[in-house]
Amino acid sequence: MQQTVVGGTKKKVANMLAMAGLILIFIAYMFPFLMVMINSLKQKRDIIKSPFSWLFTIKGLSFDNFVKAFTQMDFLNAFKNSLIVTVSATALVTLFAAMLAYYIVRHKNWISNITFALMVASMIIPFQAIMIPLVSIYGGTLNILNHRLTLIFMHTGFSMAMSVFMFHGFINGNIPIALEEAAYIDGCTHSQTFFKIVFPLLKPIISTMVILNALAFWNDFLLPSLVLTDKELLTLPLSTYSFYGTYSADYGTIMAGLLLCVVPILILYVVLQKQIINGVVAGAVK
Amino acid sequence: MEQRQICSEKIEEDKNHMRSKNNGKDFCIFALPGLFCFIAVVIVPFVYGVYLTMTDWNGVSAVKNFVGLKNFAGVMKDTQFWTSLLLTFKYVIFVVVIVNVMAFGIAYLLTRGMKGQNFFRAGFFTPNLIGGIVLGYIWQFVFSRAFVSIGESTGWSLFEVSWLSDPTKAFAALVLVSVWQLSGYMILIYVAGFMGLSEDVMEAASIDGASGWTKMRSIVMPLMMSSVTICLFLTLSRAFMVYDVNLSLTAGAPYGTTEMAAMHVYEKAFTSRQFGVGQAEALILFVIVACISGLQVYLTKKKEVEA
Amino acid sequence: MRGKGCKGIALALILVLMSGMLTGCRFGFASDPDDPNEEVKEEPIDTSVDTFEYDSSLSGTNITLLNSKAEIQVALGKMGEEFEKKSGVHVEVMPVTDGDSPYTKVVSLYNSGNPPTMSILDTTDVIALAEEKAADLSEEAWIAEAENYLTEVNGKVYSLPLCIEGRGIIYNKAVIEETLGETFDPESITTLDEFTEFLEKLKKAGMEKPVSMAKEDWSLGAHHLQFVYETYDGTSEGAQKVIEQIKSGKMDLHSYNRMQEFLDMFDVLKEYNVAKGDPLGADYDEMAIDLADGKTAFWFNGNWAWPNLSEAGADNEDAYGFLPYFLNDDPDDFANQKIQGSPSKQVMVDGQFASEQEQAAAKEFLNWIVFSEIGQQMMVKTCNLIPPFQNNPYEPGDPLSRDIYEKVHADKAFNASAIVPNDHWAVLGAAMQKYLADRSDKEELIDSVQGYWDEQE
Repeated sequence: MQQTVVGGTKKKVANMLAMAGLILIFIAYMFPFLMVMINSLKQKRDIIKSPFSWLFTIKGLSFDNFVKAFTQMDFLNAFKNSLIVTVSATALVTLFAAMLAYYIVRHKNWISNITFALMVASMIIPFQAIMIPLVSIYGGTLNILNHRLTLIFMHTGFSMAMSVFMFHGFINGNIPIALEEAAYIDGCTHSQTFFKIVFPLLKPIISTMVILNALAFWNDFLLPSLVLTDKELLTLPLSTYSFYGTYSADYGTIMAGLLLCVVPILILYVVLQKQIINGVVAGAVK
Repeated sequence: MEQRQICSEKIEEDKNHMRSKNNGKDFCIFALPGLFCFIAVVIVPFVYGVYLTMTDWNGVSAVKNFVGLKNFAGVMKDTQFWTSLLLTFKYVIFVVVIVNVMAFGIAYLLTRGMKGQNFFRAGFFTPNLIGGIVLGYIWQFVFSRAFVSIGESTGWSLFEVSWLSDPTKAFAALVLVSVWQLSGYMILIYVAGFMGLSEDVMEAASIDGASGWTKMRSIVMPLMMSSVTICLFLTLSRAFMVYDVNLSLTAGAPYGTTEMAAMHVYEKAFTSRQFGVGQAEALILFVIVACISGLQVYLTKKKEVEA
Repeated sequence: MRGKGCKGIALALILVLMSGMLTGCRFGFASDPDDPNEEVKEEPIDTSVDTFEYDSSLSGTNITLLNSKAEIQVALGKMGEEFEKKSGVHVEVMPVTDGDSPYTKVVSLYNSGNPPTMSILDTTDVIALAEEKAADLSEEAWIAEAENYLTEVNGKVYSLPLCIEGRGIIYNKAVIEETLGETFDPESITTLDEFTEFLEKLKKAGMEKPVSMAKEDWSLGAHHLQFVYETYDGTSEGAQKVIEQIKSGKMDLHSYNRMQEFLDMFDVLKEYNVAKGDPLGADYDEMAIDLADGKTAFWFNGNWAWPNLSEAGADNEDAYGFLPYFLNDDPDDFANQKIQGSPSKQVMVDGQFASEQEQAAAKEFLNWIVFSEIGQQMMVKTCNLIPPFQNNPYEPGDPLSRDIYEKVHADKAFNASAIVPNDHWAVLGAAMQKYLADRSDKEELIDSVQGYWDEQE
């Protein structure tokens, strides 16, 4: 505490400078998103001719794009599909990956080593390279495409490597083995120790992984487009297909559709932010 | 400290004792579910894909003839692939360095407890929300219109023509957009890393002045090494695999000069319909990236241990 | 504390969006009757007369249609619904989505064991798949109505030609007349020289750069460059012949007169290109607006450009049309008289996975779009296509399609489409971009075209 006071005015100046720099970069980062917001309210012609002009200078500013996107996407149904897939897959991958990573960190045997090496290596397999084999195995041989469960299963499998990698790093660096040892002495089983002692300590990384995975599942296009063809099952990104033309696209509606898609993720992020902070505070108390 | 050491050694023995009994059960409960999903979805199709590189299958025909390494000979002949690979290397170097420096710096600033940092974090999160064709379209606006109109009003020759119509500048544009998008992601991970550091470490690191940089290097960096390992690995592999940004921003234009390896592989397999050659190129790309990132993980992990 | 503010902003944003969606409110001056953004009204379909004979045993069958022509996705859905009302056959229209090529999509669907019953594909895709996957359609009744527009693979027909598309130099008559202050007769231009003079005249009258040309590789590599093959003698067979000759080395592209003539025309377009300063920075959507607004008078494109022009403010009553892609100064050369117009999308029926029942339903659907009064109307009015079937009495509504339609019927169009490998447009599109940007010369361009063909097996 005392140290911060010693920093004094120098720190203040440095802070101000950092703040100014941050705001500049911040604007650069936000800019494309702002562009999407502004242009989602314009008609196509205005988007093309004056993409940068501010709203009230444009003739025909309206929420029409949102109405059109909402109806053409069959928003509520697509929203439901996306929600089911994202929530289930995120829950599954978070749980399985945390357990698997825990196993790998605490059991240094050949299975762990090979698994971890395989996972790290698999993260660099280009999806395009396994796309065709994937559909020929799951569609041609097993014939289980076009089910939500298949998509959930595949999402879980594809994000497993990266999630394990992240959990592995966190458990390795931040979870002291002493806590678990204490639990064993108290007579806890491995499962009890993991779920009662370790899992709660993973909160910050869980929040991060939930965000990253949910984001990936919610916005993913290529995998769902291979797995799902039934109209009733389409997820949000798939349902925006009708806004794209061969030669040109309906930009206003696409941007409105994009905003409709991403708002839930934005809310999730803001909510989980708090969780990350709480997790750290809880960790500090220990 | 010493006491804890002894203690954990003793426990280690206990654990070893326990492991012999429970290892199989532990494996089934903890490792198996995740491992099963992973192997079924990633490894099996990948192995099948490797097998396909040794056949003359074109993606549709009912017959597959084993042709051995003929497709790899096809890769050797495909000069465009090697050109695109070289370009990808150049791109990866730029992207990895810039992304990590920026993301690390921004994450550091965002975890110092300044006012409104949550608001800022939400803002830096937004690049993650825009993908696909919208991403390409928005940035095309920026490079072809915004920059050109700046050029018109200021007379700067840098902005005279669209960046996307000049090979060098189109490449720069690709790097810029990738940095924007990837660093948004890496900031999240670095932020989580900084949040995981204890209060006193952060406090020690937040003292500015002459010793600030040294402290950063000697105290913060070693503790952040696991995040650095992860982020370096992720940027490295994603930069090598760049496809979406490439396709939606430049699609290889102008005249094929910005076609990266992943995009070339895809084009080869599906546009040129040389499925086997495309698949073989994907495999070669995979091996190269695997070697490089393996080396990187090994090197940074060593740093972690040293620290 | 700001964290709360952020949440507040997010919530406020959502509320605003939601209220907007629910009420569909507009503000500003959007309901201005002259608003160019007002949606084009759809022509009503008369469903009172229907003499088509439906096979009642097919009722209840479910079939799928993969659509690679994104702009008719919604219209096809409507057609499917109408067909289901009448026949009881449910047609599910599946899109080829952004980022996928139709071929990739079809390949992955065949691999998944769940291919579409019908697929709308490009001709080259159909040829690649026909013998392995497609049902033989040689005995279908519509064959007789589509004479000259059929694609045969070893003597058999595997696909229905869905529509005719044509390309050339689109003009905006009103703009030209306003600029020159005199009436414009498109027939008055018959040679490349006259076309160049005309451009010069527009320039003198104040329109500095009267031409728009797209920088996209599909436009340059497919729509421009393929004139080299298609104008050999104006038939698909001729195009095939010249390609074979180039491939086998019997014909030297450097001395092939159509190659030189093509470059002459391309140079003229290049010279008067509105984006001459930065030709590779041109924007497709902006070209439509420029032509509709009168910043330019010509745009090299095809009748598929109408939705763009219409969005840019052009009306169905406006006078737009096509000039030929002039190649030389001989007014008797067919290339200077006629517009290229040929079938561009084909419907293939799956013969490998689909059951007899499903194939029969698919064939009924194809017959329905050709022979039923409702199907005929919907092809033209709902989908805005130019059907290649002689028995279809309906005329297209938009000026570009109407112009192609009239030219086809007045023998002012030549039906030639070159069947080139699938990556032709991508590979040579890049070479054309280089030439367009003055980064290569004619020799280098011709060498890359020759080199491309030398590599083909």
